[in-house]
Amino acid sequence: MRTRTALAAAAAAVAVLTAGCSSGGNAGGGQDTGRDSGPVKLRFLSLAWQKESIAANKEIVAAWNTANPDIQVEYVQGSWDNVNDQLVTSFEAGDPPDVIHEDSPALAGFASRGYLLDLAGKLPAELKNDIPQQAWDTVTFGDGKGGQGVYGVPFLQESQVIIGNKKLLDAAKVRVPTPDDPWTWDEFAQISKKLTKGGAFGTAWPLKAPVNKVLTQALNFGGTFFQTDGTKTTVKVGPAEREVLSRIHDQLYKDRSADPSALGMGTADPLPGFYAGKYALLPTGVYLRQQVVEQAPEGFEWVTIPPLKGTTAEQGAISQTLSVAADSEHPEQATSFISYFLNSANQVKLAKGDWLLPTSVKAAADPAMTTKENGWDVATASAKNLVVAPYLKVNGYDEWKSKVATPTLQSYFANKISLDQAAKTLVEEGNQVLERYNK
Amino acid sequence: MTAGTRRRAAAPPGRPRRPSRPRATRGTARETLLLMLPALVPVLVFSVGPLLYGIYLAFTDARSGRNAETSFVGLANFGDLLADGDFWSSFRIGMVWAISVTVLQFAASLGLALLLNENLRLRGFARVLALVPWAMPPVVIGLMWRLVYHPDAGVLNDMLLGLGLIGDGVDWLNDFSVALPAVIVVGVWTGMPQTTVVLLAGLQSVPRELYEAGHVDGAGTWRRFWNITLPQLRPVVVTITSLDFVWNINQFGLVYVLTQGGPGGRTRLPMLFAYEEAFRYGFFGYAATLGVAIVIVVLAVLGVYLWRQMREAD
Repeated sequence: MRTRTALAAAAAAVAVLTAGCSSGGNAGGGQDTGRDSGPVKLRFLSLAWQKESIAANKEIVAAWNTANPDIQVEYVQGSWDNVNDQLVTSFEAGDPPDVIHEDSPALAGFASRGYLLDLAGKLPAELKNDIPQQAWDTVTFGDGKGGQGVYGVPFLQESQVIIGNKKLLDAAKVRVPTPDDPWTWDEFAQISKKLTKGGAFGTAWPLKAPVNKVLTQALNFGGTFFQTDGTKTTVKVGPAEREVLSRIHDQLYKDRSADPSALGMGTADPLPGFYAGKYALLPTGVYLRQQVVEQAPEGFEWVTIPPLKGTTAEQGAISQTLSVAADSEHPEQATSFISYFLNSANQVKLAKGDWLLPTSVKAAADPAMTTKENGWDVATASAKNLVVAPYLKVNGYDEWKSKVATPTLQSYFANKISLDQAAKTLVEEGNQVLERYNK
Repeated sequence: MTAGTRRRAAAPPGRPRRPSRPRATRGTARETLLLMLPALVPVLVFSVGPLLYGIYLAFTDARSGRNAETSFVGLANFGDLLADGDFWSSFRIGMVWAISVTVLQFAASLGLALLLNENLRLRGFARVLALVPWAMPPVVIGLMWRLVYHPDAGVLNDMLLGLGLIGDGVDWLNDFSVALPAVIVVGVWTGMPQTTVVLLAGLQSVPRELYEAGHVDGAGTWRRFWNITLPQLRPVVVTITSLDFVWNINQFGLVYVLTQGGPGGRTRLPMLFAYEEAFRYGFFGYAATLGVAIVIVVLAVLGVYLWRQMREAD
């Protein structure tokens, strides 16, 4: 008898344990009970990392919390380094942050897996009309079930410009271009050669992470790298795709106008050499201007040179975005927070904080975005060159990039393999990778 | 009734069954089970359950996503795995890593253990020092060594430049050819305390008389080491090297913090590969297959190794 009671007690204990586990599984549901008793709580995962940018983010969140006592937003700091892993885990666990800061390439995968809320028709007209269609295109993806949706609000965009050492350019009597009359790639090659003298190089290509940089500029010659036939996407590396690849390679090994020791560097690493006059031109993203302003030695003069032109000056647009998780308990409140967070006045603050381009048309017209100081006028003007990059819509792009394209392009630029070999690897191994996603 | 007769018939002849015995055994068995239950439940829920689920996933096409449908695919994942060049290169890196770390760890630890077994001054202090890496979490070790290896601000480059051994700063963790060796050094450093402590304990259990006898017979230091110490240590050595091998091939945190598998996959150990497949690309089924494959490999390698060692010991 005693054993039977003990058994029953043990069984009850097990039942309680398992019940505890299963209720732990939908902890998100627990918030429902709190809905009547207190304000709605939203979590906002932000990836801001520059000091000014974090300050701007927190300031806007604080302003919202003061104005909306019923919807309290908690600022959660994330990092670009591991945000994708973090999000996959939290999406699968069913407890993601309500408002998510990401970039458009990552959204394609998340959208097709149903993790994000389709915002089409849910945003106020004011916000929708303030952002051009080109930018909306960067966040419009298939939903994995044959439909299309808008899976985020694009707010900051990056373009590739060139930062130049003004003294060296003036000394060589080089034409400093304007957004209306930019350098062509041929001109850029000649000028780099002209600037290569006395141990200094014309330019430096920091290509530790070469793929996005090369692919976005490949559009200058119409290089898209991917083609879609019905539902099946394959890699292509034809003459158009090879243009930019071979032009950079030529600068390194034929003209010898680009410093080969900069090749293994990350984007910001060549700056000390740039200040020291080791290279006159530094192709980079617009945001690097911030570090130049902050770190350049006294009396260092620099100019922002508009994007290069091939057959066009088009570049692939990558937007930073805010999205709402499909599992969010409070999608309406999250959407209205995003609409406030990204109004044109706030976009000016965010763009200034990150030294990137706002998508908002009104924000781009703000005097702070068009001033000649620190090259803002050139940077903001380059937004007109941004188009939707085809490769950002490819499901499996991330895996192609890290497994195939990064090592292949690194080897090609290090002159270890020929262009033909590189093209062959990109296509053959790339198609193998994409095969899994085409299923 | 028939069941009873059959059971009785099955009972071995010539050994009369005592009727009271089975009931008593059944009672004890139930109590044993009851007493084991508190220990058994966590094992079943947190170990056996996930293990079986992982093995099940290996035979499905489970993917991340709210609208993903999982179906049974049999051995298709294993077929893909065998044909996957990235898996094989990761597997090769994993073997190079696990074997070289285990061997170097063993050699270095044996040296250290022999030293700490001598009657030196400050022996206690030195023994504590040798344990320090053990007290550090792998993530902290990774961060610390990342600073050591930093191309511009790292201690290592500073020292080598100061000595004039290298002309230019080496980017240890991003260079295609030195990244794996650099990571292996950290792995050896991390695992030394366990190995040293176990070997030291083994050394202390070697009977002194054997050494005295060896001494009397005129055996030199080397000879005593080779013919007394090593054979006496054999069981300990076999145990610790096999454990080290398993730990090393399953290493994740350390390398994830140091290189995340880069540059270009040169330090992508099998576990990092599985992690990427699951949490970066979302192929849970394929990642589970990788896990199962590694378990099989580890069991096979260990089986052969232990079997040979046992046979030699007999």
